[in-house]
Amino acid sequence: MSDVLVKVKGKEYIVKTDRRYTQTDEWAKLEGGVVIVGITDYAQKELKDIVAVELPQIGRVLKKGEEVGMIDSVKATSPYYAPLSGKVVEVNKDLEASPELLNKDPYGKGWIIKIEPVDPREYESLLTPEAYAEKIQKGVH
Amino acid sequence: MYLAISSDMVIHVPKIPLFEYYVEKLGAEPGFFGDWEVPMRFTGSIDEHMAVRTSVGLFDVSHMGRVLLKGPDVVTLAQYIYTKDMSKVKPGFMSGPTLALNEWARVKDDEMLYKVSDEEWLLVPNALVREKMISYIRSVISSRNYKVEVEDLTHKYSMLALQGPRAVEVMESLGAKWAGDLKPLEFRLNEEVAGVKVFLVSRSGWTGEDGFEIWGEHGELRRLIDLFIARGVKPAGLIARDTLRIEMGFVLGDHEYGEDPSKFPCALALRYGMGAITWSKKGFVGEEALRACRREGLRWVRVGLKMGKEAGRLFPRTGSRVFVEDIDVGWVTSGCYSPVLNRGIAMAYIDTRYAVLGEEVLVDVHGRRLSAKIVDFPFIEK
Repeated sequence: MSDVLVKVKGKEYIVKTDRRYTQTDEWAKLEGGVVIVGITDYAQKELKDIVAVELPQIGRVLKKGEEVGMIDSVKATSPYYAPLSGKVVEVNKDLEASPELLNKDPYGKGWIIKIEPVDPREYESLLTPEAYAEKIQKGVH
Repeated sequence: MYLAISSDMVIHVPKIPLFEYYVEKLGAEPGFFGDWEVPMRFTGSIDEHMAVRTSVGLFDVSHMGRVLLKGPDVVTLAQYIYTKDMSKVKPGFMSGPTLALNEWARVKDDEMLYKVSDEEWLLVPNALVREKMISYIRSVISSRNYKVEVEDLTHKYSMLALQGPRAVEVMESLGAKWAGDLKPLEFRLNEEVAGVKVFLVSRSGWTGEDGFEIWGEHGELRRLIDLFIARGVKPAGLIARDTLRIEMGFVLGDHEYGEDPSKFPCALALRYGMGAITWSKKGFVGEEALRACRREGLRWVRVGLKMGKEAGRLFPRTGSRVFVEDIDVGWVTSGCYSPVLNRGIAMAYIDTRYAVLGEEVLVDVHGRRLSAKIVDFPFIEK
C-alpha cells in the first residue's frame, strides 16, 4: 500500500498505511507481537529542530495514554505518550547521539520505543491511517 | 482551532508590517512575541543560528519600538531616566545599552539611544514595554516640565538586523562602501543602499556578531530584503535570535529582569556590563536603591550554566530550580540548546554564597537533577 500524502495549507505530511496512530501524534506498528512507537511526520514537522529525546527505562510498565518522556526542540518541549499499555522492551539508543533522526526519518530510524502490549486488542482501537489523515486535515490551521 | 466570530466583530491582530511577505513568500512559520505576530523560523532555527555565526543572516526586528525625542531638554531627560552618563555620547553614535530603573532599582527596560544632535535623539525600547515606556517618558516630561517632544515612529518604519561575519561584504556588494567604515555603534541617517532609501543604518545588533541595523519605510526595506537574499543572506526568525542572545549572555525582559522586586533582584545582580551604569553619575531614577544594593552587597547574581556532557542536549527551562547538593540555591531565567557548543546552556540567578565560577551545581530538567557548571558570559568565545 502506498503512503498517504496529506496536503494542508501548502505543507505536506506523510501518513504511512502500515501502522496505526494516536490523537497525540504518535504512531504504533505491530511487528511480531511487539509494538514499535514513534512520532508522526506531522509531529516532527511541528516540533522541528529536535535536539533531545527522553527515553524510558527498559522494563518500565506503561499505561495507554501515559506520558513516556519529553521531546525537546531548540526552544520548546513536548511530551510523547504511550499509544497502548505494555512493558518497554527496547529503546532506540541511537537517538541519544542523533536525536535529529526524529526529524530525518520519523517512521524508520527515528522510532523511539518498543512495547510488549498487555492487550493486543488495544492496537485495533488506535486511529487508522485514514482517520489520522483526517485528524491532521482538521487540526492544522 | 479557529475561533468562530461573526463578521461584524473585528479582532485586532497586530503583525509586523512585512509579516505576510515572510509567511507567504519566504515560508516563515508565524508565532507571537509580545503584542506582535512575527516570523518564528524559516528553514530551521539551528541552521539560521549557524548562518549568523558563520556567514550572514537577516532578522526583522520591527516588533521593537522606534521613538524620536526632540527638544532642548532631551539630555537632561535621559540623564534622569537612564543609569548611563548620556552627556558623553557623541553625535552620530548610539549610547550603548543602558537601563531605565524604577525606584526599587529594578529594571523597567534595557534600551539603546541614538544621538542625532544635542536636541534630537532616537530611542529603541523593547517590544513588550514600548507603550509603557513611552507613557512613562511622557509622564516624566510633564511632571518635570522638560521641553521634549516624543514621537512614536514604530509604525512608520520597519527595522531589519543584518548580522554575521559576512554583513560588511553584503553591504559593500550593494554599493554601500561606507557601511564597513562605520565604527561599532556609529550610525548614518538618510542613506541609500542599492537605490533603496533607508532612514538609518547603524553598526550594531544583539547577536554578538558584526552587523547592521537598518530602519526604513516598509516598501523600501522589502526591496532591500530581496537584494540581501539574492546575495545569500539567510532569513532568520525570533527563535534563532533568542538562542543567539542566550549564547552571548544578553538579557531579555521578563526573563532576566523585570520591575517586580518579589520576582527580580536589583539591577546590579544582572551584571549587565557594557558600561550600562555610570556610578559617577548622580540623580537618576532608582539611584538611591541601586547604591543601597551596591553597599549592602548582592544576595543573588546572574551566572551562566553549562550543562554537563551526560545531559546530552537537554537544557533547563525558565523557572527550573538550581541546587548545590540538596540545597535550593537559585532559578533559571532562560535556557536553550546552544548550536555552537552542542550543549544545553542557561542563565540563572544564584545565591551569591554559592556562585563560584567553575563549580558544579545540579539543575532541574524535566524532573531530573542534572549536572551543570557555573560559567561566565558569553558562553562562546568571541
